[in-house]
Amino acid sequence: MSDSNPSGASLRAPEAGDRAAQPGRTDVDLAGRLRAAQHALLSRPRLSMQVRLVASLLLCFLLCCAFALVSLDLLHRTRSRIHLLQTVERLDDRIHRVRALANEGILSSGDLERMLEGAKEAEDLFRREPRTLRQEDRQLLPNLLRHVQAARLLLATSEAAGHSGVGVLSPAQAAELRSTGTDANQSLEALIRRERLTADRILRVAESGALVLLLSLLVLFSVITLSFARALAAPLRRFKGYTSRIAGGDFSFIRPARKYRDEFSDLAVAVNQMLAELRAQQDRVVRGAKLAAVGTLTSGIAHELNNPLNNISITAEALMEGLATLSQEEKWRHLQDIYFETERASEIVKSLLDFTRKEKPDAVPLDLNEILQSTFRLAQNEMTLNDVALSSAVPGELPRVWGAANQMRQVFLNIILNAIQAMPKGGTLFVSTVTHHADQVCVEIRDEGAGIPPEVLPHIFDPFFTTKEPGKGTGLGLSLSLGIVRKFGGDIQVASEPGKGTTVHVCLPAAEET
Amino acid sequence: MPGTKDVMVLDDEQIVGDRLRPALEQEGFQVEVFTDSRAALERLKQKSFAVLVTDVKMRGPTGMDVLRYVKENAPGTQVIVITGYATIETSHEADALGAFQFVAKPFKIKDIVKLVTKSSRLA
Repeated sequence: MSDSNPSGASLRAPEAGDRAAQPGRTDVDLAGRLRAAQHALLSRPRLSMQVRLVASLLLCFLLCCAFALVSLDLLHRTRSRIHLLQTVERLDDRIHRVRALANEGILSSGDLERMLEGAKEAEDLFRREPRTLRQEDRQLLPNLLRHVQAARLLLATSEAAGHSGVGVLSPAQAAELRSTGTDANQSLEALIRRERLTADRILRVAESGALVLLLSLLVLFSVITLSFARALAAPLRRFKGYTSRIAGGDFSFIRPARKYRDEFSDLAVAVNQMLAELRAQQDRVVRGAKLAAVGTLTSGIAHELNNPLNNISITAEALMEGLATLSQEEKWRHLQDIYFETERASEIVKSLLDFTRKEKPDAVPLDLNEILQSTFRLAQNEMTLNDVALSSAVPGELPRVWGAANQMRQVFLNIILNAIQAMPKGGTLFVSTVTHHADQVCVEIRDEGAGIPPEVLPHIFDPFFTTKEPGKGTGLGLSLSLGIVRKFGGDIQVASEPGKGTTVHVCLPAAEET
Repeated sequence: MPGTKDVMVLDDEQIVGDRLRPALEQEGFQVEVFTDSRAALERLKQKSFAVLVTDVKMRGPTGMDVLRYVKENAPGTQVIVITGYATIETSHEADALGAFQFVAKPFKIKDIVKLVTKSSRLA
């Protein structure tokens, strides 16, 4: 399978070469990648299920047709055999009768006529069916006919001499007729035996032919059914994999998995189109959720901004009031206060702007420490107000990781805000880094809060899942965070012990050697 | 009531106390400044003040907790609540707990001095 990895948990880290080749805007980028994927899917030779189905059924139909033709031929041959047998048996009977009468010495011309008639019938038949006769058999009938003709001539002359209807043969004539009759009887009976065997053989062929047809149809149908089941089941399984990885937040496009294309390829093309839409949608939702996160920070931010503003305002007021009375040193300290409080206010505004600013959601090598520090600044007031102390053990020298700065700030902010909310009575938030694999850097965020009940834990990444009161949480924070981290080839893992606290690991692929 | 000129200023912003102290002292008040609400509560157990000026959001016990404590243990003390983030809810809560006045930041030193002077007469 040359498909993109279907498992959502461990995704391919974006390659540096990819990005360098596509420095353009993201949506242009996305459109290009979509076009490449669609082209790869559509440029294969088409072998549609429909054509394969029709061809298979046509094959079955042709097989049945061939059998029907062979059967018809066999039936025809059987029928002519039976006809031949009947004719020959009748002739055989008549010859027997003539022989019996000739033994008695009385022979009527009617008997001879019937025998002649039978012989004619047989001769006609033999002429029509030359294949059924052997060469020596062909001699048989003319011989017989000749003697019968001669006998009839004799009978005619003796009738004319006065014996009405009954002729008397001379002993020599009778003996000749008898021996010819015996020869004919023997040959005919041999012929009958042979023909019976042949008819039997034909019937046996017809019988076994039907069995052969049944068997070959069975085999053919099994092969067709199996191949179609495989042709259906494998892509269905693959598409099931796609849907679960899409549900897991991996929106990478479907690549060709086979050498030809069929109706499933059309489906893949449609799914890729949908994925492009979903990505665009996801980016919009991420922006919206970022604003929602800013919304939850509003009280903290207002408080945080109002404090330096208030300090500036009252210090300026004191300075104005005490311009005459304040010592030079006191004036200097007042001005210094105003200066540093202005700095403080502008820092707050800057961090907020940094966070909400639109940026390319492309992955670039990031300094995790800087991302974490700026996130701490955003959340600092929220921590202070909720009596949460921060214990950060993040080394200054960390390998860079793949990610987009603001999206990763958003991820960490979501997790830190959740941790703060889990500790309404205050506590300590521990942040440190762990390295499980050489190609990954993980940030561990641990709180001492209420923890997550085991029955809730499997749902925390579900979109719109929230345990907060209506209106307090969107239920999108963690689901979007996971989507963002997975987009950059990382993963989020959560472990929790009710009453003890929750530990979140955010792992990102390292952009350089660790 | 003894010590009617005693004022406590509680705000975790050091500058607020630094600026209010000279302005109030000029009006003849004895001012104690606290930036930590736990220490302030300890002090309130030892001494009663005519007026308490307190911030709301602070690390540890909040201004509302201090207000509640004061109203239970020293109902004569007038409390002026200042906050950086004024909402209708916090304003109502402060009223319900018996605050003298609810002031949003940024405020004017003059206004606070006036309010302290006015409330200290009630104390």
